[in-house]
Amino acid sequence: MSLGDMSLREKSAWIGAVTALICFGVYFGSLASGAVPHGGPQAFGLFVECAGGFVLLQIVLNIAAALTTPKDARTPRDEREQQIAARSHSFGYYVLVVTVLMLGIPGHLGHPVTDLLNFALLDVVVAGLVVSVAQIVMFRRGY
Amino acid sequence: MSALAVPIANQIRRLRFEAGEMTQSELAEKIGMTRQTVAAIEAGKYSPSLEAAFRIAAVFGARLEEVFQWVG
Repeated sequence: MSLGDMSLREKSAWIGAVTALICFGVYFGSLASGAVPHGGPQAFGLFVECAGGFVLLQIVLNIAAALTTPKDARTPRDEREQQIAARSHSFGYYVLVVTVLMLGIPGHLGHPVTDLLNFALLDVVVAGLVVSVAQIVMFRRGY
Repeated sequence: MSALAVPIANQIRRLRFEAGEMTQSELAEKIGMTRQTVAAIEAGKYSPSLEAAFRIAAVFGARLEEVFQWVG
């Protein structure tokens, strides 16, 4: 497997997975380890830095990927890429539904609102990771 | 047949060879797809839509059943 062998959409899937793991790994890792308190301005500042870094990295790396695959960047997704996107988002949707329903557990156990917001953010990140990983697997398998 | 293989055989590799060693990239450009999608079709890992199948056949000037065969 090499970068030259990948289509732009596969590169985007890798970028989505890696940037989410790095940026939100730092955020949730800091919260879980106790390096940053769960609520308050310090946690919010870290969240802004990590979310901003995630968006910035996505933009920069996707532009770089488009520059290395200019032909793909000029053309819309073909039918296989559209089907892979649809299937992966379907997987991500089910994961999001289940994890959001599971928010009821900490909610009813009396966790503070900031914890619930972090759990909700984790749900979104995990669902996004599932989408990216499903795309990578399907691109690698052929479909 | 592997679990991922589709029950449709194809002659794309041979037809590309007979068309002057047309590359997968050249075929992909002619039918508006990525090289990776052409490779997946050729390897029997992805079944193209009917429209894409007709486009591929048209590139080689062949009938659809000369390019794709149902193997169950």
